[in-house]
Amino acid sequence: MQPDDLSRQLTGTLGDRILAVEPFVGTAGRVRFRADGALDVFRAVRDDLRFGHLSMVGAIDWVDHREVFYVVWSDEAKQYALLSTDLPADAAHVETASEIWPSANWHEREAWEMVDITFDHHPDLRHLLMPDGYAFHPLLRSFKLHEPEELEVKSRRV
Amino acid sequence: MGPQHPMTHGLWNLRVKIDGEMILDVDPEMGYLHRGIEKISEDRHYNEVITLMDRCCYVAGFSWEHLYILSAEQALQLRPPERAEYLRVLCDEFQRIASHLMWYAAFVQDLGLMSPFLYGMRDRDLVLDLFQSYTGARMTYEYMRVGGVRSDLPLGFTDQARKVLDWLSDRFGEYDQLCMGSTIFRERCDGLGRMTASECVAHGVTGPMLRSAGLKRDLRKDRPYSAYDRLEFDVAVADGADVTARYLVRMEEMRQSVRILRQVVDWLDHHPGPVLADRLPRWLGAPYAPIGNEGYLLKRNYPKGVGFSSVEEPHGEAQAYVVNDGGEHPYRVKFRSPVFANISAARQYLVGYHVADIPPIMGSVDVCVGEVDR
Repeated sequence: MQPDDLSRQLTGTLGDRILAVEPFVGTAGRVRFRADGALDVFRAVRDDLRFGHLSMVGAIDWVDHREVFYVVWSDEAKQYALLSTDLPADAAHVETASEIWPSANWHEREAWEMVDITFDHHPDLRHLLMPDGYAFHPLLRSFKLHEPEELEVKSRRV
Repeated sequence: MGPQHPMTHGLWNLRVKIDGEMILDVDPEMGYLHRGIEKISEDRHYNEVITLMDRCCYVAGFSWEHLYILSAEQALQLRPPERAEYLRVLCDEFQRIASHLMWYAAFVQDLGLMSPFLYGMRDRDLVLDLFQSYTGARMTYEYMRVGGVRSDLPLGFTDQARKVLDWLSDRFGEYDQLCMGSTIFRERCDGLGRMTASECVAHGVTGPMLRSAGLKRDLRKDRPYSAYDRLEFDVAVADGADVTARYLVRMEEMRQSVRILRQVVDWLDHHPGPVLADRLPRWLGAPYAPIGNEGYLLKRNYPKGVGFSSVEEPHGEAQAYVVNDGGEHPYRVKFRSPVFANISAARQYLVGYHVADIPPIMGSVDVCVGEVDR
């Protein structure tokens, strides 16, 4: 499967909910979609394109916006495809994929606690790796591990 | 059950809701071993992340190094020499054997069989001795590099490796006798923890657990990386979808690994060559080299790009996504751990069984908490 095939099959049914289909090394392609049509995109990718296995959901903090990406695999085509959507940093929320692929459940919990992405209608959105009530989102760029240290070197008297 | 329970094999907690002896619901609680590897990676040079990968899964360090290296090479647009690819396969497959032997030892011990535990650990040590002979370490190797591997094999390594392979292939029959020939083993394992292939796919379960349900998905065959497309082997499958089937799949995988390793060792004997790419940019060798007497760092322009890789780790499908924005550290690193997904489906294969069935079922999942929590 090539990016063109993906694009032809998806844009026919989904129209402008698909923003672009780009080539991506080692996969069938990367589908950029609009966040408000997420559920339709997931359904089309699973049922029409037969990508039955969702491997991973990850999120990236690009400071001015955030990105959520999904990696899916098709046992028929023996190929991966990437789906990705951009979200505004001040209202980062997208529909959960766990209705379509139950495996999304934990991945989305992790993306929520690490990068502060809200997954609407998620069945169980609570902390996974961090303790309950943890107030920070460690994988945001604003969460610094440490400030650069400045060492003062004093000359030693011999 | 947990975090201090012999069943857990690492620090995690399984909340179990029961009615008498029946399991009504389960909720795994993770995070006890969370070290923030993805966050720390954003603060490290590309080659320095390899150190963290060994700690990601401490029984399968090589597989995780390989995973990260593949995506970093893709992000930085580098190609390793062919000998390095074969050396990586050598590492991966020996690691698969070591990891499965560790699993075998821990799993049968959960069932109360002590001697197989000792045999498993004994044979794993032979593999670790081999690792020590060319990396200097037994568990945390730091051997692979972006663009190749650190060093070539020592003299006489291939003969030693052949001896270990001969020894191992004789032992597999013995393991089977101890387990499949034991009524106690069969009664504790048969028919437990069933999960059909379609359930496995829906819940993201991969690796030996998926193949034990009869679905033949192995990334080494379906999406070959490194030198796997030039090697002959079969994908191990079983159709019981239960604990015994997972045992059978792992045993067959070890036999196939031995088969792969024999081909790799023969190839390495006849194809000397470089193990690190020649045109490796200098910054990968010495990230913080001072210039003259001044201690300032060289700021370099890295190629921008995203790397995505996926390997068949001993536990299943592992993935890495490395985003490179032109700086000297990765901008974002995301890993997919196979055990993470396999545990997340715990409700599917535990509910409906008895409390005493939890150790064999969870044992057959082969939990490595290091890579779940990262």
